Amino acid sequence: MNAQSLVSAETAAEAPRAIPVRLTVNGRAEEVLATPRTQLAEILRDKLDLTATHLACEQGVCGACTVMVDGRPQRACLTFAAECDGATVETLEGWEGDALMDRLRAAFARNHALQCGFCTPGMLATARDLAARLETADETRIRHELSGNLCRCTGYVGIVAAITEVIAERDAAGIAPVAPPPLPEPAPPAGFAPFEPVAAPQPEAAIPQGETRTEDGWTIVRRSFVLDHPADAVWAAFRDLATVARCLPGAELGSTDGDRFAGHVAVRFGPITARFEGEGLFAADDAERRGTVTGQGKDRGGQSSVAGELGFAVAEGASPGTSEVAAELRFRIEGRLGQFNRPELVSGLVDHLLAEFAANCSALLSGGPMRESRGISVWALARAAIAGLFRRR
Amino acid sequence: MKPAAFDHLSPESPAAAAAMLSEGTRILAGGQSLGPMLNLRLARPERLAGLSALAQLRDIREERGRIILGAGVTHARIEDGDSPVALPPMLRHVARGIAYRAVRNRGTVGGSLAHADPAADWVTALTAMGAEVVLLSGSGAERRVALPGFVRGAYRTALGPQEIISAVEIPAAMRDALWGYHKLCRKVGEFADAIGAIAVHPASGHLRLVAGATGGAPLVLSGLGDGIARSGAHPGPAALRSALAAALPGADRVKLQLLATALDRAIAKVIPA
Repeated sequence: MNAQSLVSAETAAEAPRAIPVRLTVNGRAEEVLATPRTQLAEILRDKLDLTATHLACEQGVCGACTVMVDGRPQRACLTFAAECDGATVETLEGWEGDALMDRLRAAFARNHALQCGFCTPGMLATARDLAARLETADETRIRHELSGNLCRCTGYVGIVAAITEVIAERDAAGIAPVAPPPLPEPAPPAGFAPFEPVAAPQPEAAIPQGETRTEDGWTIVRRSFVLDHPADAVWAAFRDLATVARCLPGAELGSTDGDRFAGHVAVRFGPITARFEGEGLFAADDAERRGTVTGQGKDRGGQSSVAGELGFAVAEGASPGTSEVAAELRFRIEGRLGQFNRPELVSGLVDHLLAEFAANCSALLSGGPMRESRGISVWALARAAIAGLFRRR
Repeated sequence: MKPAAFDHLSPESPAAAAAMLSEGTRILAGGQSLGPMLNLRLARPERLAGLSALAQLRDIREERGRIILGAGVTHARIEDGDSPVALPPMLRHVARGIAYRAVRNRGTVGGSLAHADPAADWVTALTAMGAEVVLLSGSGAERRVALPGFVRGAYRTALGPQEIISAVEIPAAMRDALWGYHKLCRKVGEFADAIGAIAVHPASGHLRLVAGATGGAPLVLSGLGDGIARSGAHPGPAALRSALAAALPGADRVKLQLLATALDRAIAKVIPA
């Protein structure tokens, strides 16, 4: 037995079992066995040899995989095996004898509505839906509706023309659209007579946001908070790496000699999870009451990496017996998580994490309970960034 | 890319779905937000409990002066007004602006709220409409949370570890509301850069002005909103900008300008300039 078959035997034992999926594709009843993670597009292409359905972005953006499911266009990349059980699917290979699709194919050819043809299967699924659903061929509406199908060749002119022609042919042939009741156009602004508003329910007081900026590819989140303890006492706690780590949600310190350390940070951001393993360096300046934790780490399988630095400075507070802590987190995420291109959400989370850090510091110094963050789907990516804290070089 | 392996669970009821939730088990509603995260392997759940077979989550009805939308109602059904009770025009209009038709055909209102992406439409629009979210626990207990407050931040909600959203309740008065909704996106169907929403129903004293896509929870501008109700006048762009700057001290100038513009245009749809 070679190494490869050993691996696959092991994987097969762990992998979730394939489930039977029964579906009707282009009028034929089919039954396939597929693991739950199998996309509808893969069932069509790999199990049923229906390769007209194309896969490109697999994020629901490009529209190449659009097929008709139960009479409605849907993304075949975002529909997984169990969800297609019992579905009726129509792909480009089907549509036999369909009056609208026959006209669309002819109109696409006539209007040069395709060049390389990669987007065309998805484009025709969307076009079929528009040709059946739109009451009139309004160009703006058609263009808006086509925003979910990317074409990089034609500039859409031919595609819009083809759909417009087919809607006209449909009307001429007396085929009724299946249009839903029209959406009433919003009334022109008329204003209203002043009135006394009823107070809205107040959400829990939000913690004020910290400051966020980006600099040379680094995201920097800064937040200050006041602790009801004298600066010396706060610094005495903060100059100990173990204490700082305890206050960081999701962080766990492994080995340390006081300066260098290893550890991990578990990240949960909505459905996103990661666990960064890494190492770093801790430095404390007693005279200035400043500390920095720098580090970097990788998550499981090395799919993402994060580098970062947490700096904190403790100063006397405005009133006696209090102190003010300025915390700043600089971080950079690369790899898969970095592809999650929503920087403001990530910095929002990191800010939330710093707020948790502040709350934990306060609780720790007061001898109260730490906020338990594990198991709550909250403190998320923040931790990824925090992970940043814990890794360097 | 393909998702990491996961197992599929088929709960027999909404409460059973809530009871299945655990560290490694997540809900799969329409999958139009979770799906991309699975395909990118940003999310790697061990198990997904699918809700699409649960017909009771697809109900739309009206009771006690409230329109009750099942959590599993798709955006496309709302857009089409495919409902036994009339839906408020604002609801249908907002639904049409969500992503793309192929996404709207699967994506659900409950899934969108539970995902709580700040740039998504429902979290902001339903906040303006004064909606409440019905949360169902694994034991079958229900509780209601008003929309300002349900969303706590990006991807953070009031949902407990073993709770799902079973429905959204909207005051039936919203059918007659004056409303404005304006979304700024770089491309039609993309995540919004800024959202402005206002819903006004003088008879019930309702005026809610909300800024969405702030990066965090939708921002209810109650001071400005009360002023608009009492004066019946557009506060003007300068007042919008300063209220936003005060409420979002960390936000950059571009964000503030986009939000002020979206709010300005939303209000202008209700109050003539």
